[in-house]
Amino acid sequence: MARPATSRLDEEALAALPPVPDFVTALRKGAFEEFLALPIPSQETEEWRYTDLSDLDLSFAPFAPGGAARNLDEVPGEILEAAGVVGDRAGLQIQRNSEVMVTHLDPELAAKGVIFTDLDRAALEHPDLVEPNLHALVPTSRTKFTALHGAFRTGGTFLYVPPAVTVELPLQTLTYLDADGAAVFPHTLIVAGEDAEVTFIDRFASPDLSRALSDAIVEIYAGPASRVRYVSIQEWGDGVVHLGIQRTRVGRDADFRSLAVGFGASLARAEAESVLAEPGGTSEMLGVFFADGTQHFDHRSEQDHRAPSCTSDLLYKGALRDRSRGVYSGWVHVRPGAQKTDAMQTSRTILLSEGAFGRAIPNLEIEANDVRCGHAASVGPVEDETLFYLMSRGIPRAEAERLIVFGFFNEVLDRVRLQEVRESVSAAIEAELARGA
Amino acid sequence: MTTAVTVATLEIRDLHAEVEGKEILKGIDLVVHQGETHALMGPNGSGKSTLANVLMGRPGYTVTAGEGRFKGEDVLGLTADERARRGLFLAMQYPVEVPGVSVVNFLRTAYQSVKGGDVSALAFRKHMKEKMSLLGVEDSMVNRYLNQGFSGGEKKRNEILQLAVLEPEIAILDETDSGLDIDSLKQVATGVQQLIGPNLGVLLITHYQRILNYITPDFVHVMMGGRIVKSGGKELAMELEEKGYEGIRSELGLEKGAGEE
Repeated sequence: MARPATSRLDEEALAALPPVPDFVTALRKGAFEEFLALPIPSQETEEWRYTDLSDLDLSFAPFAPGGAARNLDEVPGEILEAAGVVGDRAGLQIQRNSEVMVTHLDPELAAKGVIFTDLDRAALEHPDLVEPNLHALVPTSRTKFTALHGAFRTGGTFLYVPPAVTVELPLQTLTYLDADGAAVFPHTLIVAGEDAEVTFIDRFASPDLSRALSDAIVEIYAGPASRVRYVSIQEWGDGVVHLGIQRTRVGRDADFRSLAVGFGASLARAEAESVLAEPGGTSEMLGVFFADGTQHFDHRSEQDHRAPSCTSDLLYKGALRDRSRGVYSGWVHVRPGAQKTDAMQTSRTILLSEGAFGRAIPNLEIEANDVRCGHAASVGPVEDETLFYLMSRGIPRAEAERLIVFGFFNEVLDRVRLQEVRESVSAAIEAELARGA
Repeated sequence: MTTAVTVATLEIRDLHAEVEGKEILKGIDLVVHQGETHALMGPNGSGKSTLANVLMGRPGYTVTAGEGRFKGEDVLGLTADERARRGLFLAMQYPVEVPGVSVVNFLRTAYQSVKGGDVSALAFRKHMKEKMSLLGVEDSMVNRYLNQGFSGGEKKRNEILQLAVLEPEIAILDETDSGLDIDSLKQVATGVQQLIGPNLGVLLITHYQRILNYITPDFVHVMMGGRIVKSGGKELAMELEEKGYEGIRSELGLEKGAGEE
């Protein structure tokens, strides 16, 4: 296991980071000032009511080496395994700890102008694409943790798809963490031009660690009439605190679809936000979560309708076992003038143990009068009738519960069109459900 | 040379059971051997379905006295899955919809649980296909999610497919004929008739005589007020058809039970 050199998030550590272009250095500096000035988010605020980080010890190592590989054959087996069922991919990038080890992109796509690379390299080679977009959707000043991210981020993924280019197969990044005591700052920046089409899978994995921090940001720009699919599969090991924000700007007539799969980490707070910024946009946000042991999940979503004639739909499904906790809170905002909005938000949580705690808090804030909005939320145990039906066929209780949860998640997967994505996610779900067997 | 033939037997002795503190079964005695077909008939509210549910171990039913032995073992303390793995089966009156779980996935999981050990996907498919063609079940049904969006007839045919695939020794069919039009009834009943043989004992619970036009029982029992009040051969069903439950009541000098039709 790699050993980080320092465990302090201080000025000295900041100065020791690998060099970056001036605009990134300036961003780092500003973010570091914000990090020092901002407090740890308080449970007194509505946004952080369900997650208490007041005791979080921030003595993490800000940079943990990962090494480089010339090709995928040089990547250690356990890391490739964590990449999951990869199947056919248009591109694959592997980041280990703070460093990107290797990036592969189909040369035909590169010839069409697709860029898929390390974010630091992109900042150097394509500042015109990176500078205006990096931290424009998720400003470093948002919280102490976004500031920390802005100050110490290294590595990360940059994906650019030029106008009118269709990428048929998914691209994927695996962020793998095996440095105990480290903080990693995964950042994915996706820019899809007008009428572009792309699917990206962000995968996060680690062995069980004694402690580590994943402070992640995803910024997605879905250009006019683009079709962008974003899938995240979070499988951090025990001991990891994961704080992630994924925010998308959906352009005119763009079609954005996301699927968030959350299985890992001791504590995971994941925020997903779609801003329907221009008329005619569509956002579909799907989520699948499974917590056990003493895991704590705090999932938040926002469907922000700022322009007229946009559609958004959200479906989150979670299952909680043992003494785990899962809170889902979702906002639908319809801003003044966002007429003909069609917004729906649904969350379903299954409690598999008496000791599990689940809560769903849907919120609608509507400031336009010609809209269609709705929400539905439920939290409850598996129905006795269903359990008895399966058990009466000889299936033991635990297996019957797994089958019910598998089916419950399958209904979400049925909405995913791309076969490669369905296969990857389905395999991850089966592995997760089998783990507790 | 002597051959020992072991026949699975379900023996119910003086069985009393209650639901929500109310006694529904008031002393049932019934013996069903593998290879026999018993029809259990009675008006609504007589306790027929309660007996089925108690025998399979549905939560919410409390046995207050008596016993239910299967192959010599008292099974009333076992969980539903344990009973199923010993060879008991209940075709439900109201099969439950299980979203996201295909019939084939469910059947394979159940088959593995009942038969024990790993059954290859290929071997299972072959077994299932045989049963499907025996019952005339089309391929499309097994790829659908379990009972989801199924018509009443499809749900009941699916129950019979499960019965065929899992090969229990004793099967209880709880009003498998209820709510079916005449074509669906014929299909379901013919399916059951295909499965009846020396390896299967059937307790066929029904309100109406009509399913017995397709399935000929060896024994017929009439249940009223939580008791079996009369037993006989297949001719008892005909008698019942003529006299009605009211006729049997007056013949035996019985009062109508609470909540009974």
